[in-house]
Amino acid sequence: MPTLILRRFGFAAFTIAFVSLVMFAAVEALPGNVCTSFLQRFAQGPRLERCIEQQGLDRPALVRYGDWVAGAAQGDFGYSLKKRKPVNELIWERFRNTALLGGIAALLAIPLAIFLGIAAGVRRDRPVDLSLSGAAMLAMTIPEFVTATALIYVFAILLQWFPAVTIVSPGASVLQMLPNIVLPVIVLSAVLIAHIMRMVRASVIDVMASDYVQMARLKGVPERQIIRKHVVPNAMIPALNVIALTIAWLLAGVVVVEKVFNYPGLGTLMIQAIYDRDLPMVQAVALIFSVIYVAVNLLADLAALVLDPRLRRKGH
Amino acid sequence: MKKSLLLSAALVMAGTAVSAETLRIPHELGYGGSESIDPISPQRFYEAIQNVYSRLVRQGEDGRPSPDLALSWEATPDAKEWTFKLREGVTFHNGNAFTAEDVAFSLMRTQSETIDSPTKGVMEIIDHVEVVDPMTAKVVLKQTHADFPLLVMDYRIKMLDAETCGNELDALCESGVGTGPFQLVDYDPLGTTTLKRFDNYYNGPAGTENMELIAIADQDARVAALQAGQIDFIYALSAEQTPLFANNPNFTVQSVPTGRWVGLVMNTQTAPFDDPRVRKAIRMTADRDALGKLVYGKDGFITSCDHPVWSGDQYRADIDCPRDIEGAKALLAEAGYADGLTVELFVSDISEGAVKMAEVLQNQAKDAGITIELIQAPSDGYWGDVWMKEAFFATGWSQRPADQILNEAYRSTAAWNETGWNSSEFDAQLDAARGELDFDARKAVYGEMQKTLWETGGSFIPVHLNTVRAFSSKLSGIQPVEDFSIRYEDVVKSGSGS
Repeated sequence: MPTLILRRFGFAAFTIAFVSLVMFAAVEALPGNVCTSFLQRFAQGPRLERCIEQQGLDRPALVRYGDWVAGAAQGDFGYSLKKRKPVNELIWERFRNTALLGGIAALLAIPLAIFLGIAAGVRRDRPVDLSLSGAAMLAMTIPEFVTATALIYVFAILLQWFPAVTIVSPGASVLQMLPNIVLPVIVLSAVLIAHIMRMVRASVIDVMASDYVQMARLKGVPERQIIRKHVVPNAMIPALNVIALTIAWLLAGVVVVEKVFNYPGLGTLMIQAIYDRDLPMVQAVALIFSVIYVAVNLLADLAALVLDPRLRRKGH
Repeated sequence: MKKSLLLSAALVMAGTAVSAETLRIPHELGYGGSESIDPISPQRFYEAIQNVYSRLVRQGEDGRPSPDLALSWEATPDAKEWTFKLREGVTFHNGNAFTAEDVAFSLMRTQSETIDSPTKGVMEIIDHVEVVDPMTAKVVLKQTHADFPLLVMDYRIKMLDAETCGNELDALCESGVGTGPFQLVDYDPLGTTTLKRFDNYYNGPAGTENMELIAIADQDARVAALQAGQIDFIYALSAEQTPLFANNPNFTVQSVPTGRWVGLVMNTQTAPFDDPRVRKAIRMTADRDALGKLVYGKDGFITSCDHPVWSGDQYRADIDCPRDIEGAKALLAEAGYADGLTVELFVSDISEGAVKMAEVLQNQAKDAGITIELIQAPSDGYWGDVWMKEAFFATGWSQRPADQILNEAYRSTAAWNETGWNSSEFDAQLDAARGELDFDARKAVYGEMQKTLWETGGSFIPVHLNTVRAFSSKLSGIQPVEDFSIRYEDVVKSGSGS
């Protein structure tokens, strides 16, 4: 068991190291360098020299990669060209905002999705199931920027209940942020709920058809108890990986949703940095996203180990 | 953190108190929150400095300099010494009187090496400023410049209070104390910056009591915010966004000409473009009106004849440049390309419409037997690898006054002389214009230069772009002038609620 856990951690560390290498190499492969792509037609004379010196571009690529990784490991992501500030000064309050948005969406969506999934699975092919599954299909097929735009139109432009876009600064208090995250949370949750619910439903249907559930029924165990004691715990194991994947999806979804709602999180920071060709910032945010992605998957793996004794045996 | 909590509290209150008396303007967050309230900072907070400070001279309705803090000005016959008579009784927001000392301070600090202001290059023409008396400042130039008032009309050359800034020429001055129609209350470039009207403004109190500059970096988000009534005004709508407001009685849409242009550049030193007949032939094949409509939409442009001086500039020459396929063919035949000519054009998505413009010209030039092969270059590294490196390529320029654009793009020694324009005669005309104190004579020289560019130049500048803005119909007093010249103090917001 400890070796298994260690191995999972090892994999995670290797993945992050690999991602960092790919990201660094990708930036190196761009035409020009960090300074010329940012300065554009101002990339000449003393301005270019100052930038090259400040970014340390006169050193060989391997040295710079080493420095970047060592810095990132200590939370120092270099210097943003556009904002003229160290990247880590800008990242953490936005990280908090994204975590707030994603966290609330996940906390609302996951329990609700599990509940709805079970309800649909247990009442398979009945009106409850049909309407829930239909709604889920709809939520999955409509892109989140369309949902977001529709919500803005109805709730911000027509009814004016919520702000259309966030206009408080990134460092505003959580209380200040709350009215601004209502619509984004709805958009993110809708997709989360749809994905998780469908998986839980499928899983519940599988378990309901299994021999041990049939056995329990034949023994006269009340249906409620069967569901609570046998169906739900067993249905959760395959659902767990989907939940992890969905949370990882949340990272991509959050970029789109933050952009539409002008929410001051990591997503808008990244998009802005791409527009500005502020490569140190792009690298930093991309690295943070990949670390979160890997961490969520690692957690799911570990949780599965805890829930399912079969996985702890050799060969898994 | 504590500061931001206080700000948040202030914002909550500001949010609930939004009324007809608050004008809410989006702040484009061009420097991502590092904006400085110092007008000459490389990261100037444009929307704030526009309202907090005043200039010596500002743009009048005819495009010519009109009084702001200076009431009148005159030059010595050699146009090297300029004397500005200042407006009496002007005070800064902190109560200090505005004097010639402040003029000297505000002008000289633009030259600071440490501040490294974008205005430095232009303002280096100033040798020193003499304080003749408290209400008279004499600016002594290193060289002749008959249009010096145009230079101090720049939107960044604002008058600061020397005392508040500690008379320190080499440091940014971020006190935010000016003489403008609005004074700074709360500074938060990432969130909402709050201004309130300055009751002692020399031209009378502004039309609205408060002004909020709300940071929204993304244009789509600004559109949504205007629709939802979170802001009252929006700059630079795209052709796709304009219809959202155009037929809605709640909004007013204004389309105004600007000096921005996107163009295609032929290097006049490289074959086949070293032959002026070839350059002119290519430029003559263009149907500029059709091109403008295709690329920028019906109301998106004003046609130009390859002269970079825009329609709102007092020195814009009146040139006619209809499409002339026969003329182009004749010129090509003369230049030895009777059987047609094939050239490569490097384009990239670097400026609005650049690629589309190249495609339209490609089609129009076909009729004269010119084959333009488009080469799509990556926008990454474009300005280093393609621009001014290839023989025929796309470019884009922001608005500049005649003297500035002609000097920056066509003086033989200019760093951004992208056409490789090397004419001692043209350089002499540039100098002559600066030395000519008589307006009409000066205008004639600028006109000559523009005609030269149409006849023989290397730039293809089919149009100057318009900018489209939309605002709440509750606002009145926004003149159809380019963004830098809007006077927010004249804006009145009617009706209640928002």
